[in-house]
Amino acid sequence: MSDATIEVAGLRKRYGPTTALDGMTFTAAPGRVTGFVGPNGAGKSTTMRIILGLHAADAGQALVGGRPYRSLRCPLRHLGTLLDAAALHPARTGRNHLLWLAQSQGLGARRVDEVVERVGLASASRRPAGGYSLGMRQRLGLAAALLADPPAIMLDEPFNGMDPEGIVWLRDFLRALAGQGRAVLVSSHLMSELQGMADHVVVVGRGRVIADSSVAGLIAAASGDRVRVRTSAPQPAAAALSTAGAQVTRAGDDVLAVRGLPAERVVAVLTAGGLPFSELAPHRATLEEVYLELTRDAVEYRAAAAGAAS
Amino acid sequence: MRLLRAEWTKFRSVPGWVRGSVVAALLILLFPIAGLGGGAPDQASPVPIGPHGGPVSSGYFFVHRPLSGDGRITVAVSALTSVRGDGAATPWAKAGLIVTAGPEPGARYAAIMVTGGHGVRMQHDYVHDRGGRPGAVSADAPRWLRLTRSGDTVTGEESPDGERWNEVATVRLPGLAATVQAGLFVACPQHVEGIGTAGDAATAAFGAPRLTGGWSAAGWAGDQVGAGTATFAGYPRGTTGSFAPAGDGFTVTGAGDLAPATRSELPVGAAAGDVLFGTFPALVVIVVVATLMITTEYRYGMIRSTLSAGNRRVRILAAKAAVVAGVTFTTCLVAAALAVPLWLRVVRGLGVYVFPVTSGAALRAEVGTAALLAVAAVFALAVGTILRRSATAVTTVVAAVVLPYLLALTPFLPPSMAVWLTRFTPAAAMAVQQTLVRYPQVDGLYTPAAGYYPLPPWAGLAVLGGYTALAFAVAAVLLCRRDA
Amino acid sequence: MSTALRSVRAEWTKLRTTPGPAWLLLVTAVVTVALGAAVSAAATCPHDGCGIDVARLILSGVYLGQAPVAVLAVLAVSGEYSTALIRTTLTAMPSRPAVLGAKALVLGVAVAAIGSLAVLGSLLVAGVLLPRHGFTPEHGYPGLSLADGPVLRASGGTVAYLVLVAILSLGAAAVVRDSGAAIGSVLGLLYLPPLVTQLVTDPDLHRRLEQLAPMSAGLAVQATTGLHQLPIGPWAGLGVLAAWSAGALLAGTALLRHRDT
Repeated sequence: MSDATIEVAGLRKRYGPTTALDGMTFTAAPGRVTGFVGPNGAGKSTTMRIILGLHAADAGQALVGGRPYRSLRCPLRHLGTLLDAAALHPARTGRNHLLWLAQSQGLGARRVDEVVERVGLASASRRPAGGYSLGMRQRLGLAAALLADPPAIMLDEPFNGMDPEGIVWLRDFLRALAGQGRAVLVSSHLMSELQGMADHVVVVGRGRVIADSSVAGLIAAASGDRVRVRTSAPQPAAAALSTAGAQVTRAGDDVLAVRGLPAERVVAVLTAGGLPFSELAPHRATLEEVYLELTRDAVEYRAAAAGAAS
Repeated sequence: MRLLRAEWTKFRSVPGWVRGSVVAALLILLFPIAGLGGGAPDQASPVPIGPHGGPVSSGYFFVHRPLSGDGRITVAVSALTSVRGDGAATPWAKAGLIVTAGPEPGARYAAIMVTGGHGVRMQHDYVHDRGGRPGAVSADAPRWLRLTRSGDTVTGEESPDGERWNEVATVRLPGLAATVQAGLFVACPQHVEGIGTAGDAATAAFGAPRLTGGWSAAGWAGDQVGAGTATFAGYPRGTTGSFAPAGDGFTVTGAGDLAPATRSELPVGAAAGDVLFGTFPALVVIVVVATLMITTEYRYGMIRSTLSAGNRRVRILAAKAAVVAGVTFTTCLVAAALAVPLWLRVVRGLGVYVFPVTSGAALRAEVGTAALLAVAAVFALAVGTILRRSATAVTTVVAAVVLPYLLALTPFLPPSMAVWLTRFTPAAAMAVQQTLVRYPQVDGLYTPAAGYYPLPPWAGLAVLGGYTALAFAVAAVLLCRRDA
Repeated sequence: MSTALRSVRAEWTKLRTTPGPAWLLLVTAVVTVALGAAVSAAATCPHDGCGIDVARLILSGVYLGQAPVAVLAVLAVSGEYSTALIRTTLTAMPSRPAVLGAKALVLGVAVAAIGSLAVLGSLLVAGVLLPRHGFTPEHGYPGLSLADGPVLRASGGTVAYLVLVAILSLGAAAVVRDSGAAIGSVLGLLYLPPLVTQLVTDPDLHRRLEQLAPMSAGLAVQATTGLHQLPIGPWAGLGVLAAWSAGALLAGTALLRHRDT
């Protein structure tokens, strides 16, 4: 097993009557960005806290490079983390915040200046962190994660509150880190944030993994044999296709998603019925659609639970 | 009104704060149990009670014979010294003439006397005192004293030469029996030195007593009155009460006092304020809750939504103050009103003497304690608003209210400091719990540790009120000026 | 570099890179000397053998000076909870005993340094004030000197007392977490037992309480006269406080270890 692997196996955790984790299992491998997605309350932060030894799991184990986090002597040399960018003393400067972290890992002030430079915070690093914008805090948190040059990086919702420019910068930055052979685990509750960046996604809901796959595989599986049809007569067209044995759903005002019939049969049915259509293409799902599909159950469950509780 | 309701909802929706208020009330109610550990002290000797119902010192050396019906006794006193007086006498050393219903401690009496430092006095029934000619006695400047009994009135007079008499007072002793004991007496209270007392005894030189009226033919008898009572401290080593003929008069040595008893004479006695000792732990809890009411708003940035929900910032602070003060006052008043009668009963049941307290004074202590805690809560709220950090705010308030009181009670610190601290710091508010009475004719240890404060009850509370008003004003100004 | 040394360096940097601790240490020194001076100015010794233990008088400033020390120590832990910085700390230094131990050491050194200054300051001020109020060689007060064994014990013991109060507060904050509640508990533990003791009439229980209460026992170390009348000896009293501090620190470490952060 590589030094850079983050491995989670069978984690269970209850907080009083609520089950936060229900057999969470996945691996973040080196050399790729692993997206860790799920709706709010799916157990992402709990999992990360357990990986860091901040919370104790009721069952299962979490290993960083094959070892439990609490047994690491200089843990930031194994795993760099950004949990909560706001967790700063308002009166301490960004540079001093990094300095004590560096000293805790046996590193000197020179390394601090390097990472400050690298995340583009050099000009602000000698000001009290209380005056930082959210974007600056995220950069400071990222600098802390990179401080000891770890082979694995774990970030909890790093895109929250970032401006579009910052999001683009962070995506490129994380891709570059993965390109250097590091394992990068990034959590998010919005799949769209991960599109174009994550190689692999772990989708979670209700404390367990719903899907664990490469991004390409996930989209291919979800796209299936669906066909998109744009038509000015959606109702008669849907009726005709249903009669021919397809499952039809409305995907827009004049768009139908057709499943269960190959494209050429769809063309034949519509032509035979004299129904107009202007566009016909194999459907390719977006990552967001896949995610919404996968997590629908989890979200519905939470909504129902909230309804029952109130 | 809307603000008040909003703040009330905020307060009651935090379980920790509600619990804090309940805990504070329970501390007031239950804390005195800590003082009962180990049971009551051994207190075999009885506490003499005077005609007014309060505890008294009733110990003196009495040279007496019976008097039936009306009569008069006249005597000259030419010297009064005491063991610890350095050739003079302790200020309230007493030597003179007395008419008493009987030798039992606490009996009615009227007496005219010379004192070590307060001139001639006419005193009766322990608590009443009237001054006559000032100045000490000596062989060159003796004092003639004359006591006349007529029915149940007694008249005391004094004279510098035995010729020109001045009446000091005429007093009534209701229900005085026909036959009474009368004669010479000498008493000497304990010598107050710094923060302690030392036993003392006085010796007086009397001339020959002249008697008119229904005196018994029996000779003079000398007795120590009140030797076995709780308020009699005894004689210093090497001295005993005595009388001996000297020329045609007597030399009499005596100890004790004829006066109301204070805590100095009766240290094991309990005062009503004692059973409100839970005030301090309750105060700490309430200070924490009141401080958190404002500092948590700062910490979680909630202050912004609070301040934007109502634009008048001072009114928001006032609403918070009203809620915390109202809750504190109500819960603590209930607790104090239950605690005082309940614990006084328990303490009495254990055989501890309890200083009498009028229902008005008890009510004042109960209401005052609740008010003290409510004002302290507003003080904490204001300091919390000024400092915005819970730890520093809680510490400031505790150091301002509790610490001065603790220092005032610390035995090795100078007594002048104790008086200063309980007069000028917020700890002065503890005066609201005092139910003991001071007497000018008793030199006791009137210290906060004994339950005597330099300020009257409500004035003490007003000192805390003043600090609170100041802090509140500063908080209001800062709240308006500062960015949230 | 060992884990312990790395933790100490990190905690030292944390302590010195925010302005709060420096202010609190300054406040500690100022209020300690000021109260000691006020007490010295109020005390009088009118005649020979007035029976006053001047060392206790001069060093009584710690009654107040311990409060900012407690705040400093409470904030060292609770301050991290209120900003969630504690998670960063434990992520960087997963060994909980090392973190609390490093905090205790760093605070202890800082408090010892400022405490020594405060004690020396109090002695100097009292050296000027006391002889004017009758504390003269003729009245049996030849002047205080650190070369005098009991005075040295009282002075060093006072510094140690402040350090132990800091450690007690640190442990309590690790147990309670919220700064307001933590400082309330610490000040309650220090200030309330001496007040309660006043109420206890039973002499044995009274003595026992004075032997066990952290403040009354710990400050026995300031006594230089009448040692046999004390409820507890100077070093034994300091030992009682040390036991309280050690207990608080152990409880804090155990909870930090087993509680979700």
